[in-house]
Amino acid sequence: MSENQNKNIAYPPGGVLMWIIIYLELATFGMAMAALAYYGSLDRVNYHNDSLMLNKLLGTINTVFLLSGGFFAALGVQEFKKNHFDKSSKYLFWSIITGIGFLLLKLLEYQQKIEGGLDMSYSPFYMNYWLLTGFHWIHVLVGVVILFFIRNTIVKKQEGASLEDIEAGVAFWHMCDLIWLLLFPLLYFLF
Amino acid sequence: MKNSLLYTFVVLIILTILSATISHLHLSKIGVAIIVISALIKFLLVGFQFLELKAAHRFWQVLFVIYSTLIGTVFIVLL
Repeated sequence: MSENQNKNIAYPPGGVLMWIIIYLELATFGMAMAALAYYGSLDRVNYHNDSLMLNKLLGTINTVFLLSGGFFAALGVQEFKKNHFDKSSKYLFWSIITGIGFLLLKLLEYQQKIEGGLDMSYSPFYMNYWLLTGFHWIHVLVGVVILFFIRNTIVKKQEGASLEDIEAGVAFWHMCDLIWLLLFPLLYFLF
Repeated sequence: MKNSLLYTFVVLIILTILSATISHLHLSKIGVAIIVISALIKFLLVGFQFLELKAAHRFWQVLFVIYSTLIGTVFIVLL
């Protein structure tokens, strides 16, 4: 898609439909996070103590995974625009790997929480933790699957692959980044 | 272009490490504000650089900035 087309209100990068989805998702997660912040402000001590039991190191590593995935995905789109299909598929491959890294590390964290008895019924904080990170985990899983198909299309069709489809798929991936960038400090650092 | 993505990525990682480090200190209101602002900078960088909002129509850019300002204000005021 040309830069002039992108400057048109109806053609944001990834397409208008994807951007409607992105804003709906951001609004939904945003309201849930605002509710969590509000209830946390009413019960600071318990939310603070619950938050201390989260593994900040794992959360930080997971953030690095997602940011790396976003970086590789952005490079993948850029190389595709230059018709460097091999490089593009290589970068998308690394994006998928970092996404899988995030998913596995999060599963490890979930296992630790369950073994420690910190399930959904433990406290309001952990109910929010499981719901918000669980929905986000599903989004990342969907993002990885989308990236997998996009990469396959580039490998098979090369110049026949549609830039708009690739930008839309990668935009979904960046949306997962965006949600996590707000969710991570809220759950792990701010209470 | 490739360099600007790389610089963005480096800044994102630095801000992530900064937030994690500050969180280990006793969090005052200033600490909360630093972590929230750092998260918002990361949010805007991913949106404008990785998602290429910088090349989009001003409508999408303004909507994005309004959203991040709103959520950041909610976090800082409540926490």
